[in-house]
Amino acid sequence: MSTARAPFAPWDRRELPGVFGVEESARRIGNYRWTEMRLFEALGGWVATIPELDVKMVLGRHCYHHAWHAELWTKRLPELREMNVDRMTVPAGPEFEAFMAAVTEPEAPELTIEKLVGVYRVLIPRMIAAYTFHLNGTSTITDAPTIRSLKFALQDEHEDWRDGEMLLQSLLDTPENVERAARRQSDVERLVTVAGGITGPGSIGVQPVPEEATV
Amino acid sequence: MKRHLPESELARDERFRRNKIEDQIFDPRNVALADRDLGPAQMSVDRPAVAERSRSLMHGIFVGEIQALEGAGRTCFDFDETEAPFALKLDMARQCWDESRHVEISCKLAEHMGSDIGEYGESTFLYAAACNPDPVMRLCGVNRALEGLAIDVFSSMKAFGESTQDPVLTFCEDWMLADEVTHVKMGSDWLRRLTEHDLDRRERALDFQRTVDKVFSLGGFRGESEENPIQITRRFRELAGFSNEECDELAQIAEQAAADARQMVALAHASQS
Repeated sequence: MSTARAPFAPWDRRELPGVFGVEESARRIGNYRWTEMRLFEALGGWVATIPELDVKMVLGRHCYHHAWHAELWTKRLPELREMNVDRMTVPAGPEFEAFMAAVTEPEAPELTIEKLVGVYRVLIPRMIAAYTFHLNGTSTITDAPTIRSLKFALQDEHEDWRDGEMLLQSLLDTPENVERAARRQSDVERLVTVAGGITGPGSIGVQPVPEEATV
Repeated sequence: MKRHLPESELARDERFRRNKIEDQIFDPRNVALADRDLGPAQMSVDRPAVAERSRSLMHGIFVGEIQALEGAGRTCFDFDETEAPFALKLDMARQCWDESRHVEISCKLAEHMGSDIGEYGESTFLYAAACNPDPVMRLCGVNRALEGLAIDVFSSMKAFGESTQDPVLTFCEDWMLADEVTHVKMGSDWLRRLTEHDLDRRERALDFQRTVDKVFSLGGFRGESEENPIQITRRFRELAGFSNEECDELAQIAEQAAADARQMVALAHASQS
């Protein structure tokens, strides 16, 4: 009896085409690594500055998630012809660097809302968006190792976003605090919009042009 | 956010009360307490006030875990990659997660034992070991001295759980003990790697660890005799990279700390009479 079968089973619908070549995939991954590193360092540093015990413990857990994502990208970059991982570990541009500086700036113990809003209402949604765009756009056959890492990272990002959002909702107990959160979100959202997202303009394929950027 | 956060700036909610370790050690009531002869100091079911002592110790573990979490977190932030390589910071981030779980565990265990957050004071001398601006010194202070103390404490608490037939306490202490052995091993490995070509720096770091170990022996709290409530756990320390000689040296340091404390009590006696 013949054992010759079609190379792809009928249910395997993976295709060769993808929107990213090797260089573009590596560039994006370098931006991811830079962002994950700045984020895990800041979360680790914040733990000692946050008086709310539940928030302190959650940030301790999330600190490791982001460090581990940085490790995933550390391992992937040399597989994309980029042997010097540090050379590719850069922000998408000076505007994105300024955005991350603003996100990680709050220090005082009374600024827990500002810390959480910057990370969980602006930065992590942007990371989910950039990772999802990469996941959906890259070749499911040639770039499968990146897809696997993106799926691991996205699972954490979704769960961490939910943790952070629920902590925030529990802290927004007065109209003044709601106002604070909205103001903070608007301030940092404006910066990331100018930066174009985690990997710069085109982070999610389209690039809205903010009015201030066109002036 | 500034680098290197002093212990005075650790953020806590209003339930926590900060104590100074010096106030505890030089408390004049210690003289009268030292005069009592209650037999072996190790925690056991027939020891007077053992329930109170174990609750107090569990609260001490709880606040110690918070400080260990904060110390590991600060190491992720305080150093750039020229001072601390990414792999080290990745280990510290992992330690953050582990310490977060330990805070959760000890919080639930304290409740299980009938205690509550803030029932006892908190002294922040454990975090002080994490304030050293040299990452190698900090590693020795946190991962080898502080986490080493945690090995001894968890091992003693596990034995106490077994002696009181408390399966919840025994189970949890055993899990935390496994994590602490990993953390001490991380410290031992990184100390060797970072000082491979700088043996002077390694010696300075080990000197710093001896100083911290003496402080953490708390004048007889830890040691290898019946006088010491917390026993040095050689088996787990060896798993974590301590040599037999290092365990011997630690036992001597602990003995010296106990002798110093006895001398202070004698001086206090003399000044009162």
